[in-house]
Amino acid sequence: MEQSLAARDHCGQRPLKQPSLALMAHLVLTGLTKRYGQTVAVASLDLAVERGESVALLGPSGCGKTTTLRMLAGLIAPDAGRVTVADQDLTQVPTHKRDMGYVFQSYALFPHLDVAANVAFGLAERGIARSERDRRAREALALVRLAGFEGRRPRELSGGQQQRVALARALVLRPQVLLLDESLSNLDARLRESMRHEIREIQRNLAITTLFVTHDQTEALTMCDRIAVMNRGRIEQIGTAREIYDTPATRFVAGFVGRINTIPLARDATGLNAGGIAIRAHGVPDGPVDLFLRPQLVALAARSEPAGDANRLEGVAARTVFVGDRSEVLVDTAAGRLVVELAPGAPAPADGAEIALLWAPETGRVFAREDA
Amino acid sequence: MKAPARIAWLALPAGAVLAFVYVYPMLDLGRMSFNRTGPTGAMVPDWSLAIWRELLADPFTLELTWNSIVLSAVATTGALLLAYPLALFLFRTDSRWRGLIAAIAITPMLVNGVARVFGWLAILGDRGLVNSILLSAGLVDQPVRLVYNWTGVAIGLTESLMPYMILALMAGFGRLDRTLEEAAASLGAPPWRRFMRVTLPLSLPAIVLGWLLCFVLAMSAYITPKLLGGGRVFLLATEIFELAVTNVNWPMAAALALYTLILLLLFLAAYGALARRAA
Ligand SMILES: Nc1ncnc2c1ncn2[C@@H]1O[C@H](COP(=O)(O)OP(=O)(O)O)[C@@H](O)[C@H]1O
Ligand SMILES: [Mg+2]
Repeated sequence: MEQSLAARDHCGQRPLKQPSLALMAHLVLTGLTKRYGQTVAVASLDLAVERGESVALLGPSGCGKTTTLRMLAGLIAPDAGRVTVADQDLTQVPTHKRDMGYVFQSYALFPHLDVAANVAFGLAERGIARSERDRRAREALALVRLAGFEGRRPRELSGGQQQRVALARALVLRPQVLLLDESLSNLDARLRESMRHEIREIQRNLAITTLFVTHDQTEALTMCDRIAVMNRGRIEQIGTAREIYDTPATRFVAGFVGRINTIPLARDATGLNAGGIAIRAHGVPDGPVDLFLRPQLVALAARSEPAGDANRLEGVAARTVFVGDRSEVLVDTAAGRLVVELAPGAPAPADGAEIALLWAPETGRVFAREDA
Repeated sequence: MKAPARIAWLALPAGAVLAFVYVYPMLDLGRMSFNRTGPTGAMVPDWSLAIWRELLADPFTLELTWNSIVLSAVATTGALLLAYPLALFLFRTDSRWRGLIAAIAITPMLVNGVARVFGWLAILGDRGLVNSILLSAGLVDQPVRLVYNWTGVAIGLTESLMPYMILALMAGFGRLDRTLEEAAASLGAPPWRRFMRVTLPLSLPAIVLGWLLCFVLAMSAYITPKLLGGGRVFLLATEIFELAVTNVNWPMAAALALYTLILLLLFLAAYGALARRAA
């Protein structure tokens, strides 16, 4: 626990308060704010991204991800705050001079131009000769595995192909920063999976500083070096997928990323209890609290098994659900119904079997109850 | 394939009205153009090509054609240049004044053509608004002739086409999308280049639609050229009226009317062929 707390502090609870990190970072957002009337779309957002790093902006719909990206690209002006890239303040610089690739959610391909002309659009703006433009456009299309599609019109392409053209169009300029706004959300599941890996590989090979907006946590977990979890216009936590998953910094992050059990805790003279059963936990704040427990960090045990230092909650196996690559057991306890992941190869308990749940006190996370 | 036959009934009422007020008079007009004018000037029923020969041999016909086409093209292009920015603004804006501005831009259509011409006379006449300003500013020492000539007709016609142009453009702007311009900006295109490479090409269908519609309207405009031309501007539309009403030469008037119609049909056919080639 000591270690993970330290890691959490280091990996960016307040990255900008650490001058060394901010100085080294390639892309830095400072106090970025945008209001629409009464709505605060983005509330004083701070973020530092290393050169060549890929960071996911993960959050529920309406939390301000697109607004953040649009301010970054200069498509809308922030009410407050600054955008700097490579120590250059770009806040007042218009979009066309920012050198940022932007892949729109709707792709925004030019319908009156063929695929090659779409990809070469930005090269023409940079005054590159025709033959060189054609060559680079072909190269970029090959990179996204669309060689041979040069002469097609956007409307003659599938969603996935259009998405790759949009990506090629941005990448061909070798931008300093690449911004992707829910770029995969319009694709079907299988295509999305393969595009994730393709984009990740391209981004790594070209070492482009990338901000990837998504509301899909799998996408964030698989595509990025770090994840910034956003909620109500703020970043609640930034860290590696592991850090976010194992040591969520806030109640929102715990609930939003990955499956988790929420167990209401009560206080008595000796400490905390869940449904009357004494529980030990670390890092408990004042006031009413809940315990957050990942399904795979809870062990299923026979009632006879000694608990040792672990927390122990007795229950009855209600049902075992096979969810594709693993099985989950629903267990009814004094603290309510909990989900427990069955260890690989372990036998599923019979429905109605009397069992016990064990977990180490440091594996759970305790947060203040929200409605308090 | 029963459905098309069944839907065809939907066209019946309009078809009947059109047959009555359009097809029948046109056939009548065609029939008339093969008649002769007798020595007294009265129409003599006949099946002769004499009128058509006379019309096509007369160099004045060519002059009228040329005048009409040039004037219509100038006025339509003028209306396009003036209407385009306004239509683009109206298409895009989410300002709450949008409805009001659109109404102001389009209401001239509802004003009687004659009343509008008198408005222009008050503005462009020798003692009109424009000349008083020019004179009092000392820019000219004689009033500038702005009415009863080609200039006046071109100005009046341009203005009368504006509302139609605005409506046609706004109807044709369907493919314009703000995101495409943002994409162009993110690819390094400054505002003017975004307009030239994205907005303008995508609004081309609207431009063509508006231009064609207004060109046809301009070719058949009568009141504005008649009143603002002061008898010095000779066009197909004014000449048809002269022939029919002043000269009472109905066969010739009928032939010239049909000639104008055929001209416009050829024009539209050429556009249709071009559009098919482009698609
Ligand atoms: N142009 C706008 N006008 C008014 N409100 C807006 C506008 N754009 C975004 N918002 C509001 O700002 C908040 C954040 O929006 P957005 O950045 O699009 O969220 P996300 O991309 O995370 O789904 C939302 O509450 C949204 O309604
Ligand atoms: Mg969004």
